[in-house]
Amino acid sequence: MHRADLEQAVHDELRRLPLPEAPSTLLPRVMAAVQAWTFRPWYQRAWFTWPLGWQVMSLAAFVGLAGAGVVIAPSAEQAFVAAMAARTSAATAALGSVLGHAEAAIAAGRIVWRALGEPLVPYAFTVVLLMCIACVAFGTVLNRVAFERT
Amino acid sequence: MSDAAFEAFVRRFQDMVFATAVRLLGNPAEAEDVAQTVFLRAFERFDTIGDSPTAAGWLKAVTRHACLNHLARYRNRWRLFSEMGRDDESETPYEATLPSPDSPATAFERERQEQELERALRQLPDHQRVPLVLFHFDDMSYQAIATLLGVSLGKVKTDIHRGREALRKHLADTDASR
Repeated sequence: MHRADLEQAVHDELRRLPLPEAPSTLLPRVMAAVQAWTFRPWYQRAWFTWPLGWQVMSLAAFVGLAGAGVVIAPSAEQAFVAAMAARTSAATAALGSVLGHAEAAIAAGRIVWRALGEPLVPYAFTVVLLMCIACVAFGTVLNRVAFERT
Repeated sequence: MSDAAFEAFVRRFQDMVFATAVRLLGNPAEAEDVAQTVFLRAFERFDTIGDSPTAAGWLKAVTRHACLNHLARYRNRWRLFSEMGRDDESETPYEATLPSPDSPATAFERERQEQELERALRQLPDHQRVPLVLFHFDDMSYQAIATLLGVSLGKVKTDIHRGREALRKHLADTDASR
């Protein structure tokens, strides 16, 4: 059967299906949910539907917080700047100490490398190169013997 | 707004909303949950949609989106399994599974076949059932379905075709077992 024929045949069959009926429990469930939604507490609703007293109180609280923020902000900013300056100077001193230790560690590392590492580099390089060649040779043989490719 | 008016509204559209949900989700219990959510949203806007001629379309669109959101957590599985091959080829022609116009098929037989088809539709995997339902029941184009589901056009066509083949096979099996 061609795709178009199958599409048409399935379409006709599906469209002939009767609409499945909703279970008898759906309507009571919906109405119960609607009741619960209707009678939910005022604070779960939109602000403009709150009782007038709560609207006024919340507005006053908001204005009070905003005003306090405006008043406190300059002095808070000064305190923040002073605290940051103190911390910055302490951090700079600590950083200088860490840099000194790092320099000493790097110098020690250089000495160890010259004494132990550098003499072994040619040998290590040779070993790696030989292993690479061995891998290529093994892969070639495996390809020809096991997979019969040329 | 009165409760009686809304109750009448629910009675009028509950079958349509439930049918859309159960065909998309393939699960009556989940479909009932989604239908309840949809009607609660309708209640919040009942002043505007209660008497509107577009209420049915609004309900159907909201139901569709609620179902797709519900299925969203299965999207990864949807993409994974839909790419796998299938081994459910059937040589039985689809026409052979349908009663011919001249056959003395009874109303009972017809009803039984419809129930089988509805059951087969619900048993399809999500990635086949959802685009199939959107195509055949909601009259959406392949491209619109691909955009809605966020998948490629080719994938939508493949999934729908596989869904149709699965329905054909199911009906053929049903027919053979009679």
